[in-house]
Amino acid sequence: MHPFLSPKTLLTRVAAAILLLVLVMVACSFVGTEPISLKAALAGPALSSASPNPDYEILLRVRVPRILLAAIVGAALAGAGVVFQAILRNPLADPYILGVSSGAGLGAMLAVICSVNWTLWGRSPVAVFAFFGALGTVWLVWTIGRITGKFHVTGLLLAGVVVNACFSAVIMFLTSITRSQDVYATVFWLMGNLAEEEAFVLWASGGCVVAGIVALLFLGAQLNVISFGPTDARSMGIHVERVQFVALAISAFITAVAVSLSGLIGFVGLIVPHAVRLVLGPDHRQLLPLSCVAGAIFLIVADTVARWIVAPAQLPVGVITAMAGGPFFLILLIRYNRKVYWLS
Amino acid sequence: MTTRVQLHNVTFAYRPDQPVLKDICLSVEPATFLAVVGPNGAGKTTLIDLLAGLLEPQEGIVAIDGREIHSYSRRHLAEKVALVRQEHVPVFGFSVAETVLMARIAHVGQWGFERPVDRRTVADALDVTDTAQFASRPLADLSGGERQRVFIARALAQDTPIILLDEPTSFLDLRHQVAIYDLLKSVQREKARTVIAITHDINLAAQYCDQVLLLQPWRAASGDQSHSAPGAGAHYRVGSTHQVFTKSEIESVFGIRVFSASVGSENMFLPLGEMAKDAGRRGPPQPTDLA
Amino acid sequence: MRRWCVLLALFVAWNLLGYALFRPQRIDADVRAPNASHPMRIVSMAPNLTEILYALGLDERVAAVTGDSDYPPEAATKPRVGSFWLPNLEGIIAKRPDLVLSLDIPQQRSLAARLRRMGYDCLVLSIWTVDDLFGAIETIGRATGQHIKANALASGIREDLVRLGRTRAGRDRPRVLWVVQREPLRVAGRNTFINELIELAGGENAIGPTLHKYPPVGAEQIIGANVQVIIEPAMMGGDPAEQRRRALAHWGRLASVPAVADGRIHVVEADAVSRLSPRLAEGIQLIAGCLWPAEGGE
Repeated sequence: MHPFLSPKTLLTRVAAAILLLVLVMVACSFVGTEPISLKAALAGPALSSASPNPDYEILLRVRVPRILLAAIVGAALAGAGVVFQAILRNPLADPYILGVSSGAGLGAMLAVICSVNWTLWGRSPVAVFAFFGALGTVWLVWTIGRITGKFHVTGLLLAGVVVNACFSAVIMFLTSITRSQDVYATVFWLMGNLAEEEAFVLWASGGCVVAGIVALLFLGAQLNVISFGPTDARSMGIHVERVQFVALAISAFITAVAVSLSGLIGFVGLIVPHAVRLVLGPDHRQLLPLSCVAGAIFLIVADTVARWIVAPAQLPVGVITAMAGGPFFLILLIRYNRKVYWLS
Repeated sequence: MTTRVQLHNVTFAYRPDQPVLKDICLSVEPATFLAVVGPNGAGKTTLIDLLAGLLEPQEGIVAIDGREIHSYSRRHLAEKVALVRQEHVPVFGFSVAETVLMARIAHVGQWGFERPVDRRTVADALDVTDTAQFASRPLADLSGGERQRVFIARALAQDTPIILLDEPTSFLDLRHQVAIYDLLKSVQREKARTVIAITHDINLAAQYCDQVLLLQPWRAASGDQSHSAPGAGAHYRVGSTHQVFTKSEIESVFGIRVFSASVGSENMFLPLGEMAKDAGRRGPPQPTDLA
Repeated sequence: MRRWCVLLALFVAWNLLGYALFRPQRIDADVRAPNASHPMRIVSMAPNLTEILYALGLDERVAAVTGDSDYPPEAATKPRVGSFWLPNLEGIIAKRPDLVLSLDIPQQRSLAARLRRMGYDCLVLSIWTVDDLFGAIETIGRATGQHIKANALASGIREDLVRLGRTRAGRDRPRVLWVVQREPLRVAGRNTFINELIELAGGENAIGPTLHKYPPVGAEQIIGANVQVIIEPAMMGGDPAEQRRRALAHWGRLASVPAVADGRIHVVEADAVSRLSPRLAEGIQLIAGCLWPAEGGE
């Protein structure tokens, strides 16, 4: 008999993945532009009364926060990618497809143009505006998409494309007329980068993303059924519109959190779900948690490479995710050739 | 608890002033095998959608067990009615066994993990539809006919008192057509299920079904003479196979000439067009021809 | 429904706990007087800041500079910590600085805030105009205990400027077009430090006041602006003579412009004019050399 996914198998796999994640985090915290040693770092925060211990500082104040940030953003993007692909029934969907990218950009641009100076919990105004811009735009796309009918995902996709195009045009217009020099820095920020963040920001955003992912886990089985289309899903007892709305809302929220932390890092939300699906199959109860962990690992490694490969300079992490993600995915595709059945 | 399906004066239109179904009254007793036949565009699929709770009628009431269908929660309705439809386009590669297992979601807990009873149900459903050998294979690898059997297995695994099927044998070879009808009939008899199936094959319907609902497009029928048979409205006719499947009825509703003959307890009807080899032959006269 | 409420409650509790534990601090972007009066390990995050440090005689106390600090040549021997638009935080920390000098540009703001939160002294300097430059020299002088030398440096530069200005008094100001980028054409507008350099050199910006600092302009505006001199900064790693030839070829289409007709298209050595640094007077002299070539720019 065909082996079905049992709770025990799932828990074992998730535990193994989390163990791998921890190992990767520890290993990557020792890679960087400056060589440091664990022994020196353990000597404590200060070498003497006047000078700090650079090994300790670099390890705990620079690298570890950045690795945690990469884990949070990677998990959020990969998890949201799984959900968007399931709800939109489209293997080419990524978390930015319903207007998040242009919404975040517009929000960031408005923050710069209005020369907003206050900060929220140590987050610059650009990040806060980007967060609300992303969420607001998804809400707008959802509202427009619903005009085409309650379950019509093509309508949603089209609305997303239209809104993205319109907002991108507005962004270009604002860029051309704005006086502020900061706009170029904003454009650079939007390209996606990971920088060191404050402890509270990591704590709060980590909580948001984990809460979002746990909430999505409740929907795993229902996402499986929705893959067969709204009619089949309804006839099997799924409240399709409610599941769509809740799943999209939570995914948009964690994507907005990720974007406000790090700009638009591409590829993670698109490729990691596919890679995990190729290896382990499309069952969302397993795909969702494992994609989140895989996304975290992927982004940590990509960021580590970005920090190290042209040291002491740093590449934007989006460059590494694209350059590495593509070929890696091709290799997986070839190896698991027989399992490729989403191109029916 | 009975699982009677009833339609009280149901009218449905996709566009205003163009009703597809007008004033339909229908009562299906529990454990009945009902065939729904009629020309294209007559509203057969619309009727099935109404019975599955996917559409709401503009007028009238659809009732299951005496309760209006929309008063059931989604999940309770899924425990009463299962649906097998025509087009299935799987995007992500679920295996056959996983596909059939999804029907159990109405019965399992929130985390969605299956219990042993669910797996047994799935195994049984795969066995009776002769799809057990595909259990581990991805759905997209199968032929159209094999996929159709898998979706029928899924409806069976859903374990509901009412099963609705929209052309369940359209892609199947002869052997499997008969096998599915045998299966549906045995499910009806042994497990007291109500089976309502849309079909184009009136001969198999005659052999297996107890009741027949014959639908005509509403536009064509208005202005027609009304029939004297019981349960008749302007554009539909419901009754036993003998009452509904008569040569004159079939010829007028479908607009064709048929050759009819008696098989035994039931008749058979073979449509013959002008270019057919035996064109023009009508078969021995039947008692019902005089009606 | 119940488990969603539980999840929400846990989430709120998590955030409150985090707030209690970590108590986020505000980002403070103001310039603060540093603690140590004689910092011995200074890190400079921009080339002009490096120049100021060396001009104040602090070369022994410079621990590290950015990769683009190329003047004076001795600065090239110091350890590098990234570039001014991509600073390397780890590198800076590894040098154990007691004073970090950074610019008030977006790419370095978060760096400054981060260093401050970790307890390092970080001075943020805003150098957008010539006056800002004098202010920065003074501030750095105070921070490093070199205020006497700083005053002397500032006075010296001011004297040079006055001297240069005197020779130009009463003259007509040539109209200058400063071309930052040729395709698409962008020039330095009135609201830039380059404009100040041009005016100090005795010229006048051919372009009137614009919305942008470095506006894109069309051929129409150039013809109407009566441009007498065109100046382009030399591109890095290129041959200035070659660049001038290409510029002449490019501008040949607009023969009606006086600068083109007279062949007054100049390519200047970029460093002295691309940043506000102690070599201000040199830069202005270079520009004056383009405006009044016959006099050798004196």
